[in-house]
Amino acid sequence: MKVFARAKRLNQRTLLLCLLTALVAVSLVSLLVGAGNVSPSQALSMLLGGEDSEAYFVVWELRAPRTLIGIAVGMALGVSGALLQAVARNPLAEPGLLGVSAGAAFAVALALVLGASAATLRISVAQLGALIGCMCVLGVARWRGVGNDPIRLVLAGAAFSALLGAMTSLMLLFDQRSADEVRFWVIGSLAGRRLEDLLAVLPSAVVCSVLIALIARPLSALALGERMASGLGHHPQLIRALVVLCVALLVGAATAIAGPIIFVGLVVPFIARAFAGPDIRRTLWFCLPIGPLIILAADIISRVVVAPSELPLGVLTALCGAPVLIAAVRARRLPTL
Amino acid sequence: MSFFMSFFMRSRWLKSDLRKLRKNSAAALVSIAPTMKIASNDDESVKPPTGYWRWGERRANGASVLIERRAVWVNSALMVALVFAAIAYLSLGSLTLMPREVIMALAGQGDMMTGFMVQELRLPRLVAACLTGGAFALAGILMQTLARNRLATPGIIGIDNGATAFAVASVVGMSVSIAPSTMALTGAVTAAVLTFGLAAGSGTQGYRFIVAGIGVGAVFGAITQLLLARVAIDTANAAYPWTVGSLNARSGGSVHLLGVGLAVGFVTALALARSLTILRFSEATANGLGVNAKVRRIQILLLSVVLTALAVAVAGPVGMVGLIGPEIARALSTPRHVPVVAATLAGALVMVLADLMGRTLLAPIELPVGIVTAIIGGPWLLWILMRPQRSHA
Repeated sequence: MKVFARAKRLNQRTLLLCLLTALVAVSLVSLLVGAGNVSPSQALSMLLGGEDSEAYFVVWELRAPRTLIGIAVGMALGVSGALLQAVARNPLAEPGLLGVSAGAAFAVALALVLGASAATLRISVAQLGALIGCMCVLGVARWRGVGNDPIRLVLAGAAFSALLGAMTSLMLLFDQRSADEVRFWVIGSLAGRRLEDLLAVLPSAVVCSVLIALIARPLSALALGERMASGLGHHPQLIRALVVLCVALLVGAATAIAGPIIFVGLVVPFIARAFAGPDIRRTLWFCLPIGPLIILAADIISRVVVAPSELPLGVLTALCGAPVLIAAVRARRLPTL
Repeated sequence: MSFFMSFFMRSRWLKSDLRKLRKNSAAALVSIAPTMKIASNDDESVKPPTGYWRWGERRANGASVLIERRAVWVNSALMVALVFAAIAYLSLGSLTLMPREVIMALAGQGDMMTGFMVQELRLPRLVAACLTGGAFALAGILMQTLARNRLATPGIIGIDNGATAFAVASVVGMSVSIAPSTMALTGAVTAAVLTFGLAAGSGTQGYRFIVAGIGVGAVFGAITQLLLARVAIDTANAAYPWTVGSLNARSGGSVHLLGVGLAVGFVTALALARSLTILRFSEATANGLGVNAKVRRIQILLLSVVLTALAVAVAGPVGMVGLIGPEIARALSTPRHVPVVAATLAGALVMVLADLMGRTLLAPIELPVGIVTAIIGGPWLLWILMRPQRSHA
């Protein structure tokens, strides 16, 4: 029995390593492939030490920041999805579906209409919006037992995000200037994002990493039920509040950089759980490579399919995420968390 | 076990019907019996059941019809409200007219400018608003009754999005111009087949069906974005109104088609009204009362899908009207019948008022009617979800 468990553990480690290798490979592809005149072979020879100023510019100035941002956004969305699902004890809880991303987008649009224009402000505003959206949804979940039915919670979240989305577009109609500023951002894409945006979210990323390291263990105790967690010496309310804070910081940051991208927070933990089993800590580890993998793969596809123009990233994630949602809903018994 | 059962919880109005049935089975028998009664010559003194008028009892052949009083009041009140809303719609705008001027202009009198504005600019749009609103709401109440689920409106389970994706495809994707109505019809049928096919295992009554529909809708929404991303900006702009729902870019042909479709659909829905009332109960009950549930279901589904598609071809996905209209109608009517007429009128009223608000509130800017209805309908939807549900036991 022990041997078997060890073998399984070992398997998971190799699996994690495989995923990391795949992530490196996909990042490389993301550097090599794209719109523009630089062919993959040109880019490769430049990376291997060739002299080509055009390829240098395209690869290091355009594609490398984009790849880094894709990795960061993927990690943030994947991890926040897993956290939100663990705390809502609902396998369908997803920041995009539950209105957290919509809250962030709404807050940013509101700030722009009210006259803010600094890019750094956008991140904190988006995080605040995500926090409020998250609290609204979880408040709804605890109120009158809507959250007891996973599917009803998703429905409430969908209604909430539709409402916020309509109000966002209302404000953008009202104010043409901010509409132009936001239009490229509100559909969800990695194109044209600068490295400074990534640096601006670094502090909140550090805070989140520390917080998650602290709450991962209590959180897995919470999976046993509220009473059991209290009995083991944890504080369920405190854990929940910290998780909500983490999710808001992560989703707010990701949304501020890349725009609202839905379904990633659903798909990534879904795959991660298949590899890692029910333990939230292992799931979180698996989310770290899987999230960027999916985002980068979608981003590469969005660049290649309709080159020289690009698809919005949110479209691709919706196309691959919606079938997962349907499959999860159709399963006769939802996996409980 | 009860956790599992709650997925198949029925919608509340159905449950209230069932309660009433149990409470007073004699009255219930009357309420689900055919409304056309053949009275013999000597029972003229028999009083109609409470809440009904008997009409035509003095006739020689003895045929008489029972008319529900409440339905008459509700429908005429909605009609009057619709007329007032229409006059307001015609008089308000960038140039405000007096109601008297509007009526004069409609009659073909008054000065040229007013006549042009009312008859050429505002009237066609008013007609389009009434037709789309009525069609969305009628499709909504049909789908809700069919799925026995008050959240199952075409807009929520993805049929609107399917129609939109195909309509946009006809504008941007093809060199051959196929009329948007035809393409919207194809899209709506595809989405309906997908949603109902995916729900085949678990039935249509739970929330699972709805979330599966939301998933289908998300796929078609993404396809719409995909199509718009592929084409030149001018073409994308031409197709844009379809994606948010607006009465601004309607084409004349689609409106005519919708007019014909709504007229036929409305009459068909009236003919199906009795089956609709009975289909709210279980399939066995319906079959026992002489309604061929299977055939009727397919007819109702088809009718609902066609109405949705024709309306989407005119105004884009304004699906919230399909939720609000039937809700208003149901709140006003008795639960004895499915309020088909009231829902259609309420849908038209909501659409006219929403478009009026969209045109006038932020005056130089025109809000697409889809956004107005989403802002009104979103809280409504949340409220339906949040309402305390009775326990199933």
